Amino acid sequence: MKKFIKWILSGWMVILFFIGFFLFWEYSIIFFDVPKYILPPPSQIFVKGSADLDKLIYYTGITALETVLGFTIAIVLGLGFGIAISFSSILRRTLYPFFVSIEMTPKIAFAPLFISWFGFGLLPKVIIVVLVCFFPIVLNAILAFNSLSNELTLFYQSTGASRIKTFFKIRLPAALPQCFVGFKYAGINATVGATIAEFIGSDKGLGFYISIVTGNMRPDLAFAGIFFLTCLGLSVFAFVTIMEKILMPWHISMKRLNKQ
Amino acid sequence: MAKLIQVTNLKKIFENGSETVHAFGPLSVDINIGEFVTILGPSGCGKSTLMLIIAGLLESTSGKVEFENKLVEGPKTDIGIMFQNNTLVPWRTVKGNIELQLELRKLSLEDYEDKVNDILKSVNLEDFAHRYPNELSGGMQQRAAFCQAMIHEPKIILLDEPLGKLDAMTREKIRADFQKLWMIKKPTVIFVTHSIEEAVQLSSRIILITPRPGKIDREMKIDLPYPRDLKLKRSAKFMEYVNSIEEVFHEYGVI
Repeated sequence: MKKFIKWILSGWMVILFFIGFFLFWEYSIIFFDVPKYILPPPSQIFVKGSADLDKLIYYTGITALETVLGFTIAIVLGLGFGIAISFSSILRRTLYPFFVSIEMTPKIAFAPLFISWFGFGLLPKVIIVVLVCFFPIVLNAILAFNSLSNELTLFYQSTGASRIKTFFKIRLPAALPQCFVGFKYAGINATVGATIAEFIGSDKGLGFYISIVTGNMRPDLAFAGIFFLTCLGLSVFAFVTIMEKILMPWHISMKRLNKQ
Repeated sequence: MAKLIQVTNLKKIFENGSETVHAFGPLSVDINIGEFVTILGPSGCGKSTLMLIIAGLLESTSGKVEFENKLVEGPKTDIGIMFQNNTLVPWRTVKGNIELQLELRKLSLEDYEDKVNDILKSVNLEDFAHRYPNELSGGMQQRAAFCQAMIHEPKIILLDEPLGKLDAMTREKIRADFQKLWMIKKPTVIFVTHSIEEAVQLSSRIILITPRPGKIDREMKIDLPYPRDLKLKRSAKFMEYVNSIEEVFHEYGVI
């Protein structure tokens, strides 16, 4: 409780900013006489959104499922390939340049293809989320596992420890901070991937909802959908951040956060 | 004195595409048990490289290194090693870092429990055993790294400019502490530095390396009693050693 009060006190500026932002939005619409079918005021978004809450929550669940499944698979595959590429010179000369060049293409461009191949269901969305998340994870993992300091390498060599032991005691924990850079970036992209996949072809989910209500000239409901998407994105990011805190309480960035 | 290490005609040339850098050699040197040998030379004379090759952590271009008459062909494991950039890992406490050495060597933590506490005490870190490296000053980190390199009681300790990043006062203090520790068990030490004063204060023998490609200019026995404290450092004999070494490097245009 004490912590919560402290948090409120330290966060009062940003809270005030948000309140000011929504008040500005609300009253400038009245002041400038903006039609509500172009840009609705926050109060209307809240009221109409609440009326459609059941649907919004259900759709949030759908999009969350796609996002979380895709993100999880991307982490497993990304770490797996990242470690394999880091430790194999053959893969480093074949798969790695291949991945780097694919990273340059906007993955989302593949979305219509996957929809046409796999239909309207869950699978194509998950594939697209995996595709969007995989590359930042794998590229950061390769970087992470290749950047062990020269001194630490010499140190573990001088102990005669086995490869497996050095992996778990030195290489893996040393690589975690850079891996999390990839996870965070991928986490931000995950909801983007799911939403766009739903725009292109689906019959449920927040992306579907937003595209339908926008077509029906209901920007208020579109904003309500965007609000839920934002919450979903924040949750994914918060989860990654909490995992980071649990797995690496020692990390320097954590120490700085704790001190503030 | 019994011979521990025998280096014969050792040479290292780094090849990077068409570019070749002749780091050092050929050179030959013997190191005896219980000696504190300093490899002293200007930056880039290949002294760190030489140390790594002796430890089997780097391959030579030609020549050989023998440990107790056995040819060194891969990384030596009965050594302790310490660098200018220490090998403390940020996710372990000071104690955890010392135990990392033991864990990697499959040594029992229980057997070494007392030794870990003793060594921490000997470098005045007993109150910091449960702190993380980034909570310590540079000097304390190097003390902890020293414990990490020594805990398994290796036959030989390799120190590559371990005090290089510290300020002059901390350096002086830690140097004295290292000496005290070394005097207890007198392990064989190979110490790499470019500080002449440090070399004279700590070593029983100094090997002077020329600028690249590094060759042995001369060896110098330092015939001064241990412990070499501040008083001894002000003595004429100490200064004489320092001056004669400065003279050598002055001739090479290094200083």
